[in-house]
Amino acid sequence: MGKDFVFLLFVAMTIGGAAIVAFAKRIIYNAFALMLSLFGLAGLYVFLSADFIAAVQVVVYVGGIMVLMLFGVLLTTKLTDVKLTTLKNQRIWAGITLGFFMIVLGAVIQRAPWIVTHEELVHDPQSATIGELLMTKYLLPFEIASVLLLAALIGALFIVRSEHK
Amino acid sequence: MTETLTNPVLTLLRLIPGVETLSDGMQVLLSGFLAGVILFAFIAVFALYAVYLERKVAGHVQDRLGPMEVGWHGLLQTIADAIKLLNKEDFAPKDVDTKLFTLAPFLVFMTALSVFVVFPYDSQVSIANLNIGIFYVIAISSIAVPAVIMAGWSSNNKWSLFGAMRSAAQIVSYEIPVGLSIICVIMVVGHMGMQEIVEFQGGGFWKWVIFRSFPFNFIAFFIFFLGSLAEVNRTPFDLPEAESELVAGFMTEYSGMRWAFFFLAEYGNMLAVGLVGAALFLGGWQPPFEFLSFVPGWLWFILKALVLIFVQIWLRWTLPRLRVDQLMYVCWKVLVPFAFVCIIGVGLWEVLT
Amino acid sequence: MGRYFRDIYISVFTVLKGMYVTMLHFFSKSVTVQYPKERLEIPKGSRNQLLNIIEDCIGCDQCVRACPVNCIYMETIKSFEGDELGETSTGRKKSLWIPSFTIDMAKCCFCGLCTYPCPTECLIMTDVYEYSKHDRNDLIFEFADLDPIKAAELREKDAIRKKEKEAAKLAKLKAKEAAAKAKAEKEAAEEGKTPEKKPEDNPDKKTDNSGEENS
Repeated sequence: MGKDFVFLLFVAMTIGGAAIVAFAKRIIYNAFALMLSLFGLAGLYVFLSADFIAAVQVVVYVGGIMVLMLFGVLLTTKLTDVKLTTLKNQRIWAGITLGFFMIVLGAVIQRAPWIVTHEELVHDPQSATIGELLMTKYLLPFEIASVLLLAALIGALFIVRSEHK
Repeated sequence: MTETLTNPVLTLLRLIPGVETLSDGMQVLLSGFLAGVILFAFIAVFALYAVYLERKVAGHVQDRLGPMEVGWHGLLQTIADAIKLLNKEDFAPKDVDTKLFTLAPFLVFMTALSVFVVFPYDSQVSIANLNIGIFYVIAISSIAVPAVIMAGWSSNNKWSLFGAMRSAAQIVSYEIPVGLSIICVIMVVGHMGMQEIVEFQGGGFWKWVIFRSFPFNFIAFFIFFLGSLAEVNRTPFDLPEAESELVAGFMTEYSGMRWAFFFLAEYGNMLAVGLVGAALFLGGWQPPFEFLSFVPGWLWFILKALVLIFVQIWLRWTLPRLRVDQLMYVCWKVLVPFAFVCIIGVGLWEVLT
Repeated sequence: MGRYFRDIYISVFTVLKGMYVTMLHFFSKSVTVQYPKERLEIPKGSRNQLLNIIEDCIGCDQCVRACPVNCIYMETIKSFEGDELGETSTGRKKSLWIPSFTIDMAKCCFCGLCTYPCPTECLIMTDVYEYSKHDRNDLIFEFADLDPIKAAELREKDAIRKKEKEAAKLAKLKAKEAAAKAKAEKEAAEEGKTPEKKPEDNPDKKTDNSGEENS
């Protein structure tokens, strides 16, 4: 019961936030609700004994991507008060996609080897393991990702820079 | 290694009669509540006297006396001010977005408060010694950005929105040099837990991180200090609440107790960056000399943080405010390259020795 | 690149210099005082609240005329025979009763022009500078120390005297006119010429009530 309460709190944050994202009519509420949902997800990572991932989740999604989205919402002022509506003929496609997605998720949930008892949890610091794996086993993907990001950075700079200079 | 740790909150919790009979969940909630109350009291008391210190330093720097009337040399002045604030009407303008307007100050204050749980207040004393310690601090403090935007947007006021946008841009930018300078420390120590970082620096002030791999961590400390000044919106980086331009930035429409929460959060952040700087670079609770170890560790920790806070205040009354483009120039073209050089330097130093 | 490093050097250097300067001021003595408890000495000749030492005032009216904003109001009554008004401290004989001498400090512009012409130096600028009041009417200061009953008496007497004077003047005028008429008649009778005498205008030489009656 002890940790279940806090766990349920985070679950409620995640699902409730996601529900507000889906149903709220004002786009700024959607943005802030997404923040709530992402924060709840970070809490769930903590329950998976992945504290480093949880902190990364907060830094990257709440502190970075959310701010980016908020800036986007605020800078496009005409959008902030637009009522969001979904066209009716899209519902059927949305239903099909949802069904497919749920089947995949259900299959994953059924087959994954879940840790169900407290004793099975790994209590070692995650950051050291992650760092080691990134520098040894997954060095190539890591480097490719960093090269991709560098390319994105240079591309963004190229677009932003005025040509008459 | 965390088994020997004294947790002041849990110690207090065990003092409550009949706490063992409560369910586990209630105990978790109760300890969270206790930690909140303790930290709130800590920050509130600190904020009262930080404001007093700020006003006194401002006064003496400008050849004035500062508050002198309430209490001996004005010692009770800020308490009187706080009582005045509590009595003020909780006033919200007509066209604000009520939900977000109400939520924002608490979110800002929550981020300021929850940073304090990981600090190593003394040897073996901290509320929660996470093994990602310092990274947790960075993560939590990044939640403040959307909260500030929330406050600025919901106020439905141009100045508030400008202040919020500036604040967000500033904090997001300066998180990078601060993070890079913290990486310098982590590279020397090899651990992210705050308690371990401080333990690493024991045995005289020359063992402190600031004097390790000499010029690089020294520069990293200044990068950290400047970046932290910008992150807590202190002069010369106080553009988000520039009084002469934006009234009070994102706090313009707030009054009474809600404004007091912003205020507390601001001074809480000030203390937080002071404590982080003291723990990471200046040896935390470690005394500067071995023979001074009879002084309790928490006193050293607070003293070092207070020195940093004093320098913050001192800078505030010395320097004018930067322009936005200068702010970004300092961050991206000076602090970030220097921080990268520091990382490379520290890395080479650690590999070679 | 050299400029870049020079800029960094200059900014760091100037920040440290600025911090040095503020630290110097931090330890220097404050220039302010705790005002209501301790006060700075007011410089000599400073212009603050006006004070009239009514014992010395001879009612010469020069200050009233000097005032550029008309904030001084004075009423004077010529002394009657047998009145003993005494002397000023400089030994000058007083010859005017002063039933009211009022200064409206709310209107005063602190120019000090009223103090210079004062022949007995009884109108002076004091060093009192804190006399703010809640009501504007409280800023109208009355300096005359004449008993109001006595003042009323004097005014009555003065009015009677004025009436008498007026009557006397009228009688004089009539007599003059009669004389002129008689003269003209005489001359006309003598020479048959028309009289050239111009009608005399009213020569009001009294100095009383030169200040308006204040409320």
